[in-house]
Amino acid sequence: MKFIGIVGTNATKSTNRKLLQFMQKHFSKKAEIEICEIKGLPAFNQPENRIAPEEIQALSDKVESADGVIIATPEYDHTVPAPLKSVLEWLSYTSRPFIDKPVMIVGASYGALGSSRAQGHLRQILDAPELKARVMPSEEFLLGHSLQAFDDNGDLVYADKVTELEECFDQFLLFVDITDQLIKNHSFQTEKNKNFSWEKVSEGGNN
Amino acid sequence: MKFIGIVGTNAAKSYNRMLLQFMKKHFSDKAEIEILELTDVPMFDESDDQSDSDIIQMFNTKISDADGVIIATPEHNHSVPSALNSILEWMSFNLHPFDGKPVMIVGASLHPQGSSRAQLHLRQILDAPGVNATVMPGSEFLLGQAQKAFDDNGDLKSEGTVDFLESCFTKFQRFTEIANLLNVPEDLNFKPGTFEVTAKGHNGDLPMSVTLSKDRIEDIDIDTSTETKGIADVVFTRIPQEIVKGQTLNVDVISGASITSHGVIDGVARAVKMAGGNPEILKKRPKASNIVQKDEEYTTDVVVVGAGGAGLTAAAKVLDEGKNVIVAEKFPSPGGNTVRAGGPMNAADPEWQNKFDAIPGEAHRLKEIKDMKLDDIDPEYRDDFKKLQKQIGDYLDSDGKYLFDSKLLFRIQTYLGGKRTDLQGNEIHGQYDLVKILTDHALESVKWLEKVGVSFDKNEVTMPVGALWRRGHKPMGPEGFAYIQALQKYIEDNGAKLMTETPVKELIIEDGKIYGVIARGANGQKITIHAESVVLASGGYGANTKMLKKYNTYWTEIDDDIQTSNSPAITGDGIKLGLSAGADLVGMGFSQMMPVSDPDTGELFTGLQVPPANFIMVNQQGKRFVNEYGSRDQLTQAAIDNGSLFYLIADDEIKKTAYNTSQEKLDAQVKAGTLFRDDTLEGLAKQLKIDPEVLVDTIKKYNSYVDAGSDPEFGKDVFDLKVVKAPFYATPRKPAVHHTMGGLKIDTGTHVLNKDGEIIDGLYAAGEVAGGLHAGNRLGGNSLADIFTFGRIAGENSVEDKVLD
Ligand SMILES: Cc1cc2nc3c(=O)[nH]c(=O)nc-3n(C[C@H](O)[C@H](O)[C@H](O)COP(=O)(O)OP(=O)(O)OC[C@H]3O[C@@H](n4cnc5c(N)ncnc54)[C@H](O)[C@@H]3O)c2cc1C
Ligand SMILES: Cc1cc2nc3c(=O)[nH]c(=O)nc-3n(C[C@H](O)[C@H](O)[C@H](O)COP(=O)(O)O)c2cc1C
Repeated sequence: MKFIGIVGTNATKSTNRKLLQFMQKHFSKKAEIEICEIKGLPAFNQPENRIAPEEIQALSDKVESADGVIIATPEYDHTVPAPLKSVLEWLSYTSRPFIDKPVMIVGASYGALGSSRAQGHLRQILDAPELKARVMPSEEFLLGHSLQAFDDNGDLVYADKVTELEECFDQFLLFVDITDQLIKNHSFQTEKNKNFSWEKVSEGGNN
Repeated sequence: MKFIGIVGTNAAKSYNRMLLQFMKKHFSDKAEIEILELTDVPMFDESDDQSDSDIIQMFNTKISDADGVIIATPEHNHSVPSALNSILEWMSFNLHPFDGKPVMIVGASLHPQGSSRAQLHLRQILDAPGVNATVMPGSEFLLGQAQKAFDDNGDLKSEGTVDFLESCFTKFQRFTEIANLLNVPEDLNFKPGTFEVTAKGHNGDLPMSVTLSKDRIEDIDIDTSTETKGIADVVFTRIPQEIVKGQTLNVDVISGASITSHGVIDGVARAVKMAGGNPEILKKRPKASNIVQKDEEYTTDVVVVGAGGAGLTAAAKVLDEGKNVIVAEKFPSPGGNTVRAGGPMNAADPEWQNKFDAIPGEAHRLKEIKDMKLDDIDPEYRDDFKKLQKQIGDYLDSDGKYLFDSKLLFRIQTYLGGKRTDLQGNEIHGQYDLVKILTDHALESVKWLEKVGVSFDKNEVTMPVGALWRRGHKPMGPEGFAYIQALQKYIEDNGAKLMTETPVKELIIEDGKIYGVIARGANGQKITIHAESVVLASGGYGANTKMLKKYNTYWTEIDDDIQTSNSPAITGDGIKLGLSAGADLVGMGFSQMMPVSDPDTGELFTGLQVPPANFIMVNQQGKRFVNEYGSRDQLTQAAIDNGSLFYLIADDEIKKTAYNTSQEKLDAQVKAGTLFRDDTLEGLAKQLKIDPEVLVDTIKKYNSYVDAGSDPEFGKDVFDLKVVKAPFYATPRKPAVHHTMGGLKIDTGTHVLNKDGEIIDGLYAAGEVAGGLHAGNRLGGNSLADIFTFGRIAGENSVEDKVLD
């Protein structure tokens, strides 16, 4: 399987990046994870022409061709960081590659809660009609106290957390398979989401 | 009442903007609403703080000054637009204008129930501790089907909608009045007395006593004797000053020292609690620095930019010449990188050095130099080289048992040590005329410093880390600080004006000549200093990773999160100022890594930092991996090849040769887990998760090489002590950015030159800000020689040009 892992922040120092790097290494036998950065991507500004800037299109293509996407999100002010939000807006506003894409959400934060509120918001966001990702239900991987969580080799030092992450990841592999089955017969809804428009909805157009 | 309305999107067309514009017009007789747009707000980036930029400051001031804020948010993907997230993140990062601010949320969308989810998210965001707004409950104003809601005048068509909006707005006005009552400062009373608490320092807890009277913080006294002299001072003087001056705990933390800054603030808060007061009240008070200051203007003979070693030296020389000088310093205390220096400064002083015995390996090194082929020496150095060959030959023939040195050996080693080739194949070596000035006049600098008040330890001749020869003059007292302390006292006693927290932002240039500088004062005021000439002495750019990466041509990669041993102030400001006057640059691609730095902070003098003769470097497997006497570049590359992290092993005797430390500091570091100590090597290995057998074997072999005076494995040839006496130590190390060799192009008179090689009238540069001398690699101990030598020249010449040869 081939996944991409999106680092949900543009900060140069990020434990969410470390978490993805650890997953990439730790699960290398089970799947290939390519890590994508959002640093420096243009800020979403809702251009009339609905054309994605080149860098966004490149990321969109990666999402499109991946078997699944892992998003590692920090929590800023009880929600997802603006730079991650901006990327999702671009993708929802232009090419919509997330539709029916299996997604696993993970998150690391310095405090005890491990970005739980941001993850909650992210689920709601990914459920919006133009994103409509297949977010793996119920499994939530929250890494609290993330500043102390990695050693100099980038390995996760909390053994229980490693086990938990392994379980989550196995579930995700399964979830990707199941989702595949599900969406085989689902092209009608997919098409609808690809063409979704808030303008039309408000006029009583497509649902 | 005055409100700010924020349009929650940066889109060119927005119904939410129309809604706010309607509210502004419709309620103009009840309140003033000023609309702010997000169009120019940069994307939030934690690692690129733009809190000081005009746009972010504008939002901060307007929100702070307003009675309340109305946010009109669209809904994007079931949440608020990223543009709105972004401004709220800026407003919750270092600035907190929303704290306690009454906020009303409205939203317009195409969908009939649109923006309800976004409004809910927005409430949660505004409730986050960093934002902490007081959001009006209930009264959700959602404008659905916005595309049909407005007429051509931009007025809401539906009377019912307007009525509801009016009722919401009236309620918000009342809410604002009541909510702002909570923001009226509360009275604070203390039980008077002096309270003993602790502040968190780099090397453990520091005792701190806080004296409170009935209603004031009178005094904060911190015992910093266990801290690295000079560096932490900034925090421990500036934060208490701000707290006492503003009678507030709302003070800006000092960049690069946030942990210790918070340590002081938290300590004072604890004392306030002990005295029965509520520290939260103090945290809500305005900052001392918000007290507005008038712009300032000064006139002097010479202005010096930067109060490091080069700057203070130049200033002292200006005073010696009988002229006036102002030194503008960016940080709260002087010293820059100089205060961090290990101390020894290189100068060939054979008369003194000859009194010391040669140590094993030195004769061999001399012979190697003598045996070099003339063809391998660049033409301009050949005459000197031939003379040196003869000097060495005579010394070796006489079977000298004493430590040899000469100006020529100093010169040739500086030249050879600085010769490098970058990734693109460009060769660089030290510019002959600059190297000659350095090596001929460094000893005069030592003598001059003695006059200024620095005393040197004559009983020891050291070889600094990264140097090639024992010619280090080590000051008595706390190393780098010793120079700064003496120089600062000297210039202040002689009437210089030292302005701290005054970063220079611009040069005053008229018709190609420099007439002074424009700086920014601690409280944001503009400071104009008119002068006949300007000396740039602002140091290099080791703490500016972006700039390093931009110019780098030497390292295959520089990590975004690389640490540095430099002061956070060292961001290449002087180089940029020079460029603004058309200066030429030289050698900018070459930067130096310090292979032996603290893995967490980039600092040099944590743990046991000993002379290289006593380095025993082992990798994470417990094995030696390099000749510890290698150049910095070799050590850095070897460390990178071994996973960057490695350890310096020492015993109780080697410990005594460490720079800049004390038993108390070491104990504190062991306690903090940043230094490892054990009574046996096996135990030490276990602490490091290394196989004990491997480490024991490594040390056994090393000890035998010390006895034999040679190392068959890696070729180390200069040794001092063996590792025998418990307890044993391991100091974790990693490479970090240490020095930037490139900089402004200068001539031997320190005039800054333009691209045509012409002097820029009135502009001088000395120290790390200038390039050409160290070329591809600076030898340890040569910087101090550089800054005091060229600093003196800059000071003299900025008054009246003299010719030196
Ligand atoms: C940890 C460490 C250890 C070292 N050890 C040694 C050693 O043992 N031997 C040796 O020879 N060299 C050593 N060096 C190198 C040496 O210390 C420096 O190269 C040298 O001190 C540079 O001196 P300077 O006066 O040019 O700059 P600095 O001492 O860095 O001073 C520059 C000053 O300019 C100020 N400044 C910057 N921008 C502005 C602005 N815009 N406006 C106003 N002021 C500004 C800074 O705040 C600073 O105070 C060491 C360096 C470090 C970092
Ligand atoms: C990227 C994007 C995502 C959107 N997601 C939603 C949504 O989740 N729910 C909704 O009601 N409207 C959604 N909309 C439609 C907006 O609510 C609509 O454009 C509205 O007019 C925004 O207000 P404005 O005119 O002030 O921009 C979305 C629009 C964009 C551009």
